[in-house]
Amino acid sequence: MSTESPIVSLKEIRKTFFRGKEPITVLDGLSLEIPAGSFEALMGPSGSGKSTLLNLIAGLDRPTSGSAMVAGANIGKMSDGDLAKFRSGNIGFIFQAYNLLPVLTAQENVELPLLLHGLSSAERKKRAQTALRVVGLEDRSHHYPRQLSGGQEQRVAIARAIVNDPTIIVADEPTGDLDRKSADEILNLMDRLNKEFKKTILMVTHDPAAAERATVTRKLDKGQLR
Amino acid sequence: MMNFIRISARNLLRNKLRTTLTVLGASVAIIAFVMLRTVLSAWSTAADFAAKDRIATRHKVSFVITMPKNYVDQIRAVPGVKSATYAIWFGGKNPKKPEQFFATMAFDAPSMLEVFDELVLAPDQQQAFLADKQGAIIGDVLARQLGLKVGDRFTLQGSIYPGDWPLNITGIYTATKKSIDRSSMFFHYSYVNDSLPPDRQDQIGWIASRIDDPGRGPAISAAIDQMFDVKDIQTTTMSERAMNLSFMGMISSLLKALDVISIIILFIMMMILGNTIAMGVRERTREYGVLRAIGFPPASIAWFVVGEAAVTGIVSGIVGLALSFPIVELGLGRLLEENMGAWFPYFRIDPKTYVMGMGLALVLALAASIVPARNAFRLQVTDALRRLA
Repeated sequence: MSTESPIVSLKEIRKTFFRGKEPITVLDGLSLEIPAGSFEALMGPSGSGKSTLLNLIAGLDRPTSGSAMVAGANIGKMSDGDLAKFRSGNIGFIFQAYNLLPVLTAQENVELPLLLHGLSSAERKKRAQTALRVVGLEDRSHHYPRQLSGGQEQRVAIARAIVNDPTIIVADEPTGDLDRKSADEILNLMDRLNKEFKKTILMVTHDPAAAERATVTRKLDKGQLR
Repeated sequence: MMNFIRISARNLLRNKLRTTLTVLGASVAIIAFVMLRTVLSAWSTAADFAAKDRIATRHKVSFVITMPKNYVDQIRAVPGVKSATYAIWFGGKNPKKPEQFFATMAFDAPSMLEVFDELVLAPDQQQAFLADKQGAIIGDVLARQLGLKVGDRFTLQGSIYPGDWPLNITGIYTATKKSIDRSSMFFHYSYVNDSLPPDRQDQIGWIASRIDDPGRGPAISAAIDQMFDVKDIQTTTMSERAMNLSFMGMISSLLKALDVISIIILFIMMMILGNTIAMGVRERTREYGVLRAIGFPPASIAWFVVGEAAVTGIVSGIVGLALSFPIVELGLGRLLEENMGAWFPYFRIDPKTYVMGMGLALVLALAASIVPARNAFRLQVTDALRRLA
């Protein structure tokens, strides 16, 4: 495990949802520290709270109680607008279903997060090209998602996740929709992002082979880390 | 350059059939709106074409009630009045086509040609008209419709003045100004008057007077009415424009109905657009969730929706107005001018209607996007992403 100071520090996190009037506690007093530069896998059965935990760390949601410090920011107290800014500057997302905008080319998809940073068109293009080069898809920059394979789409999604040089990359089942070969390519790429570019990666997965690539694997069950 | 509007425009092309149908639906609403507004403006334009230096005098109660013919001599004596003529509304019909409407009026012919000098009639036809008590002149538009030419005989069927009224077509007139309807028929007042029983003779519907100074129109009108205030039958004198508008007053309910219908059409258009936009937002919920996840603030997502609506509205406006021109001006307009020239002497789309149509297409599209944009704005990122599964 890395000896860096924690980039994620959760204390006594509790997250309760309501189904009608019935409260459902998904995370129950969970505490967690993730050092900067680590590559961690989060495993657990369905409904264990993995995605909820990932959403809290990524600033997509707020805890019901407890303290959540991520990249030096107390994200539990932020407004929606501040959380959006926080995500834009600190978090890169990789989704299971890639979630590229079908009406945009690979390059335009990668440029999307940069629209929020007031960069010139030329600068956006340059950075998007760099990110696509990192994932090995520079030559596919003008292809639309429908013209790419699943593995290529996920690589474009990774380029989109890293284009604004985020502090943390959160990946929710990044290989869930891919065949083994494509999955390995994606995992190799994530490994490279962690080792070569020193990105902190937090990955939710059901796939033991994917979890093996992480430096730390945490198991979550019934809202508690085991 | 990639920007919000460009993304919005591309989103519209995702479902080309739906977008095309929406644009066409909204365009049809725009065409209907333009058509109705043009009907309304054409009616008021007809009033606007009135001569500025002409005033009209009618019975104080209503123009359907007659006045004594001798009033015209007294009006001719009023300072500022250059000439005056009188007429009755005959209400005649073509017995072969009773449903066909055209204006038929019996005038004092010599003074009529003086007061309505924008009416163009060849000198020999004018001479023939004045010389023949059964002579009639018809506008060139009506002549085409009825298939009449100079020298033809035409029998008019009277409704206000029952019976058959044979007429000799002695002239076909045109006009130098739009103030003269080219689909009317004029003949001699004396022909009608002399055929009436004594108790109905020497009654007239209105008096048209030419004045020397349009600026003095209200004062001259007041002087005329004051003159008859002490008589049994009082008068109302007004500008020709006001007279035309008072005719339109009879159909004010219809005009109001058209006005309301044009607004309803626009609301239908708004609902069509709102439905399409709402469907688009629903379908793209997960994409909006992704955009929110990567840092787009809620307002940006709402702007995507508004941008999409704006593009749809603009395209619908352009298509609708582009189609309106040939349909309204070249098709319907020509037809109405030819066949209903008395009501629509100049059926053209007012430039203001184009501006209004375009503006309303945009404004209504934006209005239609308010609810979907608000829903997109309120979208919870985690809820939106949960729809990924």
